[in-house]
Amino acid sequence: MSNSNVSETTSTLGRTRRRVSTVLFGSDPEPGSKAIVSLGLVLIAVTIALFLVQPIFVSYGLFAFLLVVAVGWFTYQAATARLLTLIATTSTVLTIGFITFYLFYSAWPAITENGPALVTLPDYGWFFFLDAVLPVDGSYYNPAGGAVSLIPFFWGTLVVTFIAALVAAPLGVLGALFISEVAGARLRAVIKPGVEVLAGIPSIVYGFIGFTILNTFVQDTFLTDGATFLIAGLVVGIMALPTVVSVSEDALSSVPSSMGDGAVAMGATKWQTMKSISVPAAFSGISAAIILGLGRAIGETMAVAAILAGGTQFADPLFDIFHANMTLTSMIAIQYGNASQSLEHVLFVAGVILFVIVASMSIVSQYIERRLDKKLKGQA
Amino acid sequence: MSEGYATEETFTTADADAYDRWLDTTIAVGILGFVLAMAAVGQVVTLTASGDALNGVFLTLSAVVTGAVGLTAGLAALNVVAVESRRVRGVGLGLLAATLLLTAVVYATGVQLVTLFGLVLLVDSVSLVGAGIASWTGSVDTQPNASAGILTGSVFALVGFGIGAAVGGAFLDGPLYLVAGLLGAALFGVGTIVPREDIGSTLPTAAVTAVFAAVILTGAIGPDWQWLPEGLSGGFSGVIVVPLFVLFGSLFTSWSAAKCRARFGARGRQYGAFLVIYLNAVMMVAVMVSIVFFVVSRGVTYAFHGVQIGALSLLVLLAPLLVLAINRARNPSGTSEWHSAARQSFRIAPVAAIGSLAVVLVGLIVTGETLDYAFEYTVLGDGREEVPIDTVAAITPETAVGAWVLAFPTLILAVYFFRNASSLRGVGTRSPTLERVQQAVPLVGTGLALATIAYVLVGTGFPVLVTVGTGLVVAGAAAAAGATLFALSALTSGPEGLLDNAQYVPVGLAGGVTLLAVTAFLEPTVTVSPGVGPIDIVPAVALLGVLVGAVVAVAAAVARNRGGDDRVFVSQALLGLSAVCGFLTILGLHAAFTGAPVDLGVATVANVGSFDWPFVMQSYVPLGIEPGGIYPAVIGTVWLVVGASTFAIPLGVGAAVFLTEYIEQGSFTAVVETATNALWSTPSVVFGLFGAALLIPRLGDQRSLLAGMLVLGFMLLPLVLITSREAIKSVPDEYRDASAALGVSRWETIRSVVLPAAMPGVITGVILGVGRIAGETAPLILVLGSTLNTPNAADVLGNFQLLSSAPFVFNGAVMESTAALPTGIWATIAAGVSGSQSRGWGTALVLLLVVLMLYSIGIVSRTYFRRKLNYE
Repeated sequence: MSNSNVSETTSTLGRTRRRVSTVLFGSDPEPGSKAIVSLGLVLIAVTIALFLVQPIFVSYGLFAFLLVVAVGWFTYQAATARLLTLIATTSTVLTIGFITFYLFYSAWPAITENGPALVTLPDYGWFFFLDAVLPVDGSYYNPAGGAVSLIPFFWGTLVVTFIAALVAAPLGVLGALFISEVAGARLRAVIKPGVEVLAGIPSIVYGFIGFTILNTFVQDTFLTDGATFLIAGLVVGIMALPTVVSVSEDALSSVPSSMGDGAVAMGATKWQTMKSISVPAAFSGISAAIILGLGRAIGETMAVAAILAGGTQFADPLFDIFHANMTLTSMIAIQYGNASQSLEHVLFVAGVILFVIVASMSIVSQYIERRLDKKLKGQA
Repeated sequence: MSEGYATEETFTTADADAYDRWLDTTIAVGILGFVLAMAAVGQVVTLTASGDALNGVFLTLSAVVTGAVGLTAGLAALNVVAVESRRVRGVGLGLLAATLLLTAVVYATGVQLVTLFGLVLLVDSVSLVGAGIASWTGSVDTQPNASAGILTGSVFALVGFGIGAAVGGAFLDGPLYLVAGLLGAALFGVGTIVPREDIGSTLPTAAVTAVFAAVILTGAIGPDWQWLPEGLSGGFSGVIVVPLFVLFGSLFTSWSAAKCRARFGARGRQYGAFLVIYLNAVMMVAVMVSIVFFVVSRGVTYAFHGVQIGALSLLVLLAPLLVLAINRARNPSGTSEWHSAARQSFRIAPVAAIGSLAVVLVGLIVTGETLDYAFEYTVLGDGREEVPIDTVAAITPETAVGAWVLAFPTLILAVYFFRNASSLRGVGTRSPTLERVQQAVPLVGTGLALATIAYVLVGTGFPVLVTVGTGLVVAGAAAAAGATLFALSALTSGPEGLLDNAQYVPVGLAGGVTLLAVTAFLEPTVTVSPGVGPIDIVPAVALLGVLVGAVVAVAAAVARNRGGDDRVFVSQALLGLSAVCGFLTILGLHAAFTGAPVDLGVATVANVGSFDWPFVMQSYVPLGIEPGGIYPAVIGTVWLVVGASTFAIPLGVGAAVFLTEYIEQGSFTAVVETATNALWSTPSVVFGLFGAALLIPRLGDQRSLLAGMLVLGFMLLPLVLITSREAIKSVPDEYRDASAALGVSRWETIRSVVLPAAMPGVITGVILGVGRIAGETAPLILVLGSTLNTPNAADVLGNFQLLSSAPFVFNGAVMESTAALPTGIWATIAAGVSGSQSRGWGTALVLLLVVLMLYSIGIVSRTYFRRKLNYE
């Protein structure tokens, strides 16, 4: 190893250390404050560790931490305040870390026990090839009998989300166009908060509405005994609508007005401007909105649980939109209460799948939004 | 932008000819069909309705349309509102004509709704054919493009495929229906794209509408029609298919007619597209309104059974509304022209309404009559059937005012008046007395507050402590009285005194209110049996304060009316009013804390009796005839929200401060941002799993209120963080720079400049976030459990224990499972037939009210503060 390499390594180390120190203590810490900040950091770490390992003794750590903060407040107030906000900031990262860890940790026994059987169909291997040859009475999910394939519920989630997307995407984009381009200022001032309020209606209320219309409305109109993917999808679509509307509206209104002015200057009508300038410019933002809306739809629990109830049969044929079984979310809500230890682990696997799907959708939509931002700023 | 649209303006207001009126009416028929079809989808009217049932529906519809169009037209004619656009006028008149005509048809022939739908579609179709051909032959002046366009063509190709496949499926065997579908697609696609735009965008629409009309009129698809696709477990019935046909037929018709109306070309496309966008918006609003309306209509009887309120309490609750209405009425209104008088009457209408309502209420008190409304609500009987029970909602002539009913509105008003008064710092001269009062008030207040804390911790185990405490209360009240009277001394030398000793008013009144408030909090901690002997000094001083505040307010108002330095007098009047409200709040708090009613001669302030809402204020009664209410669930939800907020708000705001104020954009912030957004989008049920895996094993191994609070807190965290960060970011950098230029340290700047400026935004974000988590259900099922009909509410305040060993502080109530509003609804669903649906609806209504109230408060405050920020 050459000398220059070593010095490079040490300088990288030095830079990293400086960067960490800046995050922890700030760029110019008060002299003497480092000790109390370090002590506070150590104590809060100890408190969290105590909570994880020996929760009964968490008070000792907490009281010690509070004492240090109290002392710090009267001696180095600025540094202590900074320390507290730093701890608050790390809490979000810690939370997402803990969620990831504990989901996988609790799902692990089920994964080791059942292996690929969790995501395959028994006796048939992977499900993609099997559209035509599915057995009618096959039992994919029967924890007592040892069959724990999550495929039926995965499929349920997929169908419900697909129907929801058919409702939410076109209506949502039209709604966003209305708010951002068509409506006058006064109408916008009423409709925009209205959409927000629509987003605020709790999902259990939608669920209760869905639950009560099953036996009358749905039997009349869709000729089934009640619960269907179709109704669940429609309800979830209405629920995802506000997310799509407000996020695409943000994307549309972030298109610089100079672009629209240019089109108007060319003699284009408002609709031509919308169709050929605003929507293409905001296209990636609109797709991010749809992805976010789909994320909401996938994670939606109570409405789906109330409408679809607790069926475990796989849809047959696959595109039977009048079928009803649980989705990944509703199976957790419905079954967790009276699940055996091993079934609980299986439910955690469902949670892991959900978490991974939705988190990656969120990351993708963030990436798209950031790119849109950069693009529009570059042009403005 | 405005230049580009100027021509459009003249275009829409240009005179309309017969062709235009015809198309306006066609658009109106399309809109009418759209609305009726939505009503049929929602089963507000059934397809088979005819005769009296349908007559009633159409009579209502005509009344609504006549009223709406008539009022608007009248106001437009009188120049009160401006309706310039010929198109809007035309469509409005068309709506009126079409509605009246259809109503006449329904009355005359007694047709079924389904036949009427067919007829409407047929009329649409014929009208469009006429419009298209008139344009094509050149009888009217239009500017059509060479083709209707690829986009329109593909939409119609899709529709054509559907029609072809459906017809093929009905008459042909096997996969031939696909061939028929492709044939239909080709026909419609070519028919749309190839001809000139005026034919290409009217005839295909007319054809689609005609096909819909034909299948409906011939009865091929009627209300009894059913289609059960092979292999599927359900199918479609005519009950839903016919309205959907009408919905789409009407949408297409309106779109086509709009294109014709704007004479095709670029303008035609714009009008058509905008009409579709408008109809979509109307549909969204209709869905939202009907969801809320549906829940209200189902739950209102159960939720409001047996509600009673005293007339005087209602009067008190009217006070904040009155202030709002007065504020609205104060806005200046236009010119001296006569129609500005009409506008002015709209401004003062709320004041007038409140005035008349108040007189009615006073009338109730004077005559001793009760205003009541009798109705019935249904409960679940023994045999799982819904049994109706008679109940009544009433306004009683009671003159008792509930303690909290008094305290809440007056507190809001006190804060409102106080915020609107400007600080009188530096006005008038400073006398030594003023200095002394200004120094004494904080000292006495702190002393009393410390005493309160001491009494909470120590309790009143020894008799001597009670005596000392009583003495402290008397001393505090006396000090408050002294401070209040000090404010009065500004009045002794008339208006000059008010100006010269301007600061006596704020210092004295604020000091009095503060001291008495602290005393009121001290009171319940020291009295064993409240309301004995000298304890009543607190309400006495409060009444004195009300009097003094009123005198100050009146004096300042009179001084202002006589002319003088306006701003000082206005502020003093506002401060006087604020003090009146503040002292009334303390009066309410006194009654609430001690439980002793305060008799004011004409009225009493009491803890119970003036307001009764059984559904919210009673627990479940297991074996009663009436099953009581959901008090435990309401309390549970309140504690969940309080706990989650206490946990999440400091963390969220702290993190927002750190990210915006302490650190540059970099890899650390990127990680935090990604984590926050991931938390925001994590499904709620996953939070529940997380709580079940991490929290429950560490919190006594059972579902508990504490676990619910923490899990909801984790969900609230990203919401608070994101909104607070935005609020802090929106504080202008000039504020920070100015503070730094004065040599203020970074932390001092954050504490006394940035955070106060960002506070409104932060509070708004918190309210909206709380509204969101208040209705969360899925995580609570996992970590809190869901129980039907809980008889006992969680008593969190009464269960704190200090222990000598770890964990030192323990609360039995938060370590147990309890009820909450959303889990109560879920329990009703999960219970199936043994759950009372009417009770579920009542719970859903209360939950919806709570959430919507939080949302509207949040949104209104955001609008208010945003506007303020923009004006400043």
